[in-house]
Amino acid sequence: MTTSEPVISLHDVGVQFSRNRRRHRSIKDLLIRRKLGLDTQGEFWPFRHVSFDIHAGESIGVVGRNGQGKSTLLSLIAGVLLPDEGSVNVRLGVAPLIAITGGFESELTARDNIYLVSGLHGMSNDEIDAAFDEIVDFAEIGDFLDTPFKHFSSGMKVRLAFSVVSRLNEPILLVDEVLAVGDKRFRNKCLKRIEQLLEGGTTLFLVSHSEGNLRSYCQRGLYLESGELRADGPIEEVIEKYERDQGTWVERAVGDEVQLEEYADLAASSSEDVF
Amino acid sequence: MTTASLMGRPGGFTTTGTGRPGLRERLRRVIQYRRILALLVRRDLKVRYAGSTLGYVWSILDPLLMSLVYWFVFTVIFNRRVGFAPYILFLVLGQLMWAWFNGGVSGTVRALRQQAQMVRSSNVPRELWVLRVVVSKGVEFVLSVPVIAIFALCYLKAPSIDVLYLPLAMLMCFFLVLGFGLILAPLTVLVRDVERIVPIFMRVMFYASPVLYSVKDVPRHLHIALSVNPTTGMLVLARASFFPQELAGDVPEMNNSKQVIVNGHVVTHYVNNWHFVWHSAIGIVVIFAIGVFVFSRLERPMLKEI
Repeated sequence: MTTSEPVISLHDVGVQFSRNRRRHRSIKDLLIRRKLGLDTQGEFWPFRHVSFDIHAGESIGVVGRNGQGKSTLLSLIAGVLLPDEGSVNVRLGVAPLIAITGGFESELTARDNIYLVSGLHGMSNDEIDAAFDEIVDFAEIGDFLDTPFKHFSSGMKVRLAFSVVSRLNEPILLVDEVLAVGDKRFRNKCLKRIEQLLEGGTTLFLVSHSEGNLRSYCQRGLYLESGELRADGPIEEVIEKYERDQGTWVERAVGDEVQLEEYADLAASSSEDVF
Repeated sequence: MTTASLMGRPGGFTTTGTGRPGLRERLRRVIQYRRILALLVRRDLKVRYAGSTLGYVWSILDPLLMSLVYWFVFTVIFNRRVGFAPYILFLVLGQLMWAWFNGGVSGTVRALRQQAQMVRSSNVPRELWVLRVVVSKGVEFVLSVPVIAIFALCYLKAPSIDVLYLPLAMLMCFFLVLGFGLILAPLTVLVRDVERIVPIFMRVMFYASPVLYSVKDVPRHLHIALSVNPTTGMLVLARASFFPQELAGDVPEMNNSKQVIVNGHVVTHYVNNWHFVWHSAIGIVVIFAIGVFVFSRLERPMLKEI
């Protein structure tokens, strides 16, 4: 592979959801629906016709109001959602920090979970053995290694999850608002880890409502609004455009801390939400 | 172009809105992730066998206990006319085979829903979640083979070359459960009722399949029903590993003879039971093909709903 080839390319991508999810579906409908295109009122597109190329080592911040498809975009790049239009091409491995504690099995101990989740993302046992102590140290769960995951506090769960996923050594890292959870000290530790990864050449995709984080970790911005990719350019320009559109950047008024805590609450209350 | 990242991990992928990855691409991905499949299966077995000291006993207790119950009901209470002697061995073979089929299908129904969080956060091929259940149940069956051997030894039935029918039956069971699983796992995510329908369907299937009885006990005019049941041939083959009468055509105790008049003479024709095996094999191939098709169709909406 040449270095000039993009590591992620989206071409004319669109995703369609049904407005009232979990509506009644018949089996027949599901099998033949795609070609018939019926029931257009119930459908909406978080975004359509999105195209961009990302090259190795770039760090991208995604901005947009709630429900404009930021997480959907990350799910597409993580390969856990399939586009309805266009094509998504990801050429290297992805470490997804989305739905963060998702892959963990609540009945198993922390130790088993480290091997399970790392293994699920393709690490061999030898690699995990080598990284094990580092993962445990970083998560600060030394005394609870043999405690079942379900007995962990939510903060401990997030610490362990971040520690495992950020240690996967994948060339692409997706971060979706997870930094809103956990105490301030651990958050700073996480940011430091992300910095290290960036220095090591990792390609970063960051969804955040924190202007500070976006400015300090990202060079390029993507701005999703009203079903389209409204801006794609240097992060400063993208944030400015977003601010102009929104009137004021929420964070200005409220302050970093308070705003982050709000999102922590939000994340906790809507963890089921895919969007 | 796909580039495996360093250390030979499964790397990139391409997803498109037009068309779905073909069978070959899907197979390639599953093979690429075989190590992760092994990891998941080991995990399942570990939970199953290390969770409690009686783990192994639990997995074979149900089929064994039910075999005893049926053996009691049919030989002591009723005067058994079905199956072959020793009836307990006959039952154990059928029950264990059925336990794999039943456990596999019931397990695959929940394969994706139960792992919703994993499915949502990891891009391993989605087929892997179904395969994992099928393989785990298969390994459990293999581990129960010693039980069959013990019963066979008790009744001094020396194993003949016929035991090789057993692996063939297992192959049929594997693809049958996989086929059903590929249909049912994504369907359950989209249509919740499936989870309720399947256990009822399986109970009916149990009595409609030759588990408690042999195909030779079924009146001729019902053979058509046995032939469309894809489990029939699988059970016939599994049984034939210790009961050659199950397959053979020239055994007098079977009601498979037909009187035909040839040149004015009455000739008795015996029909062997291989046709059940072929019909089931065809049925399994069809169900597996439908499974692959349905899974590829439902994968996209399933990922949105899960």
